[in-house]
Amino acid sequence: MKLTIERAALLRALGHVQSVVERRNTIPILSNVLLEAQSGKLKLTATDMDLAITEAVDAQVATAGATTAAAHTLYDIVRKLPDGAQVELAQKGENAPLTIRAGRSVFTLQCLPPADFPVMTKDKLPHEFTVTAEELKGLIDHTRFAISTEETRYYLNGIYLHATKEAGGVLRAVATDGHRLARFQVPLPKGAAEMPGIIIPRKTVAELRKLLDESEGNVELSLSDTKIRFAFGDAAMTSKLIDGTFPDYERVIPSGNDKILEVPCKAFASAVDRVSTISTEKSRAVKLAVGKGSLTLSATSLDNGSAVEELEVSFDAEPLEIGFNSRYLLDITERIAGESVQFTMADGASPTLVRDVDDAAALYVLMPMRV
Amino acid sequence: MCAAARDSEDQPDDSLTGPLAESELIGHAQAERALLDAWAGGRLHHAWLIAGPEGIGKATLAGRFTRFLLAHGIAGKKSQSAVEAGPSLFGDPEPTPASDAPATSLYVAPGDPVFQRVKSRGHGDLFTVTRGYDDKRKRERKVIVIDDVRHVRDFTGLTAAEDGYRVVLIDGAEDMNRNAENALLKVLEEPPKRTIFLLVSHAPGRLLPTTRSRCRLLALRALDDDNVSALLTKHRPDLAPDEKSALIRLADGSIGRALRLAEEGGVALYREMVALLGKLPDLDISAAHAFSSKLAPPTAVGYELFGELLGDWIARMVRAGAGGRAVEVLPGEVALMDRLAGGRSLDQWVEVWEKIAHLFARAAAVNLDRKQVVLSVLLTLQSAARA
Repeated sequence: MKLTIERAALLRALGHVQSVVERRNTIPILSNVLLEAQSGKLKLTATDMDLAITEAVDAQVATAGATTAAAHTLYDIVRKLPDGAQVELAQKGENAPLTIRAGRSVFTLQCLPPADFPVMTKDKLPHEFTVTAEELKGLIDHTRFAISTEETRYYLNGIYLHATKEAGGVLRAVATDGHRLARFQVPLPKGAAEMPGIIIPRKTVAELRKLLDESEGNVELSLSDTKIRFAFGDAAMTSKLIDGTFPDYERVIPSGNDKILEVPCKAFASAVDRVSTISTEKSRAVKLAVGKGSLTLSATSLDNGSAVEELEVSFDAEPLEIGFNSRYLLDITERIAGESVQFTMADGASPTLVRDVDDAAALYVLMPMRV
Repeated sequence: MCAAARDSEDQPDDSLTGPLAESELIGHAQAERALLDAWAGGRLHHAWLIAGPEGIGKATLAGRFTRFLLAHGIAGKKSQSAVEAGPSLFGDPEPTPASDAPATSLYVAPGDPVFQRVKSRGHGDLFTVTRGYDDKRKRERKVIVIDDVRHVRDFTGLTAAEDGYRVVLIDGAEDMNRNAENALLKVLEEPPKRTIFLLVSHAPGRLLPTTRSRCRLLALRALDDDNVSALLTKHRPDLAPDEKSALIRLADGSIGRALRLAEEGGVALYREMVALLGKLPDLDISAAHAFSSKLAPPTAVGYELFGELLGDWIARMVRAGAGGRAVEVLPGEVALMDRLAGGRSLDQWVEVWEKIAHLFARAAAVNLDRKQVVLSVLLTLQSAARA
């Protein structure tokens, strides 16, 4: 293998792929990045065996070939090379070390054979469709905060992505941890109608979000019931999925709630934040007392004292008192871009629906606390 | 970099390193047949407990089965390409790819991509558990802790990387502490689909009955001398014939033990030990001192070996005295055994054996001076022989 590549291009690609490589690895091959040079492209792949990121960059390939070298070391070397340098990567024969040459610097890195490198998938992913990066960001950002971290119900440790015919056909993302649920939807992309419901693991969601920050335009998704692949131009990420059944979440979304409370989102969020300062328990509970046109937020603590704050709201039903975990309330208000937030309640003990008044695509369900 | 250096430095270094790199298995054809039949029958039990004495190839068998499962996938399921291509236009019998031909052994060629990836632990559908490394104490842990096992649940919670079986291979299953075992039990009791657990253990009795009852037991027997001899020739072609035959008899059907003895100079030590014992009941005190000083430094490998060899030797003597088959590793040993066993009743020798074993265990627990331990063991033997 022998090729020449511009430092900036190599650094960018390495930067993307090396983030999945864990710093400490008991399995040596997983610390390495797979380098494949072929017909004018250098393809880099890194994996932690649960997900793999591949990126192809333009390079002048003199001799095609493949090898693997330590990802973090290679990244550090390329990072420290001067800007604008031309980097030459060369390997003589299968098990020879990899030589990196730029200007007057020469490095040699030990290699492992490419045959040792994990393979993510052999067969085809039958369901293919395209969404915009913005849509995918929306699906992730509105739901990922609700992903559970509980190990026993491992099927909740991810975002459930599925297609449904409701609302004229939508692609939906749902996440829940049993106390709250977040749902977001985008119009159904062409080719997605037949897709199976899949659960994307938390780590994949985090890596995907990082890649999305740097990409615009379209993302091509292809998936089967065991794997998903996101392709962004020259980069692609393939991941395992969570092997489980997501619960029937529709059942927990209340439909008969009739008490509608509308509050200005920003003012409400900062009031919740202020009042919750006083509560000492881990749950940081805040009580909402709703009456005609007014909302009183309060928190009491045996150790600290108490806090009360009043807000003007629009509310027309029977007065009611309800308590929430302030952290959960703030998590939701952070995701609401519109002016006001709408709570649809039944009583002080039943799940409450939370919506963004300006955005019908997002929906949240929150379980109240006893206060 | 040469291939040999790579093997020793860049492969994960634990008890599975050797077995996963070994393509051949000698002497367990019956067990292999049982695994193969279970696979071909399409009703593969999800958990297997591969039990048997130390060093006879349990992990090697587990490694072979792992590679086989990962290479062949689910019995009877055609590869994706064959299904997609559909039946032939001309009605010919479809060419069967190599992976679809009926398997006759668990062999997977070392050149196979699956072999490579399993060896490097770079196969997305293989998860291995062995004793981990303790970062705080800077040494290998003595047990498998719950954190090692919890990752099994993360692994089984995700779908397969290459479509087919997922394999969880636990080597030294008896090393799991109680918490770790309970965590594993949770997964064993509700096994995820298409996941095979292979538990390798030389002391299955130390596992919880609940764990054992979830597994299908595959008991491997010790190798016979011919097999040990063949394996020794393969791994240590440099051994002299008389050393080799002594090793075979000392090894007791365990190639692992034979190789360890060969590595640590077991036969030479055994000779010295028997020479010392030969003088009983009148111990050559200066020779005993020289012997014990040699074993005393913490770097000397012979100390633990001596405990093991001596324990075995007394056990063999008692067995021979009770009418069992006398095994002679060195010439003249049986006569010596007869002489010593004749001096005292056998149960008294059993007591001596217990006492010595206890002394070694105590010495290891509280770090007693090794030289004194060896001397006191020899003196114990002397007084036993005199009585």
